[in-house]
Amino acid sequence: MKTNYLLPNKYKLLGWPLFIFGLIGGIFISVSNFETTGPSIKVLSIYSESFIDSKNHFFKVIENEILDEIIAVFIIIGGLIVGFSKEKVEDEFIYKLRKDSLVWAIIFNYVILLFTILFIYDLAFFDVLVYNMFTPLIFFIIRFNFLKRKANSHDE
Amino acid sequence: MTNNIKVQRAIHNMTQADLAEKISVSRQTINAMEKNKYVPSTVLALKISKLFKVLVEDLFILEEND
Repeated sequence: MKTNYLLPNKYKLLGWPLFIFGLIGGIFISVSNFETTGPSIKVLSIYSESFIDSKNHFFKVIENEILDEIIAVFIIIGGLIVGFSKEKVEDEFIYKLRKDSLVWAIIFNYVILLFTILFIYDLAFFDVLVYNMFTPLIFFIIRFNFLKRKANSHDE
Repeated sequence: MTNNIKVQRAIHNMTQADLAEKISVSRQTINAMEKNKYVPSTVLALKISKLFKVLVEDLFILEEND
């Protein structure tokens, strides 16, 4: 099966640790109510809004605590690598499983988001938005690995 | 659609893994096809029928609801 967007299989060795560390870090800062923030460094902000005077700033260097950024990058890059690296034997059936999982993940994610839009309000909804940045990818990876395992288990 | 892959495999005395290797797909793909859970692409169907030296029509059979 020729596909032009899949990474070689060996990238999974890099993707899984990144993804797992990212998820553990993500759970950790969620539990600590986003109060663990890591080191503070100067970063380039293309667009920012000041808390004090609500003024918009463009292309300004600001100070930012970067633990949450690091964790988000780990989850996204790790997740993309895990989800979009070739299997040991990459063929059309695996390709179909991957596509089906993607469709499933998008629909499932938006059904849950719809539910939270209707039933979760105030600051709690901010948490929903944070998690929703990662859930499509996470649902996709879980579903894909579940389908692969299922295809593996019913033997001759 | 149904198929005779399992029968042909038995005739040629091949395991799922043997067949998978010969046509360079995973064993799960063979398994899914034999269980009628996966309809292979034309390319794969042709590869299998070529390997077993039978017509595609004799290997894959349309059903009424197709």
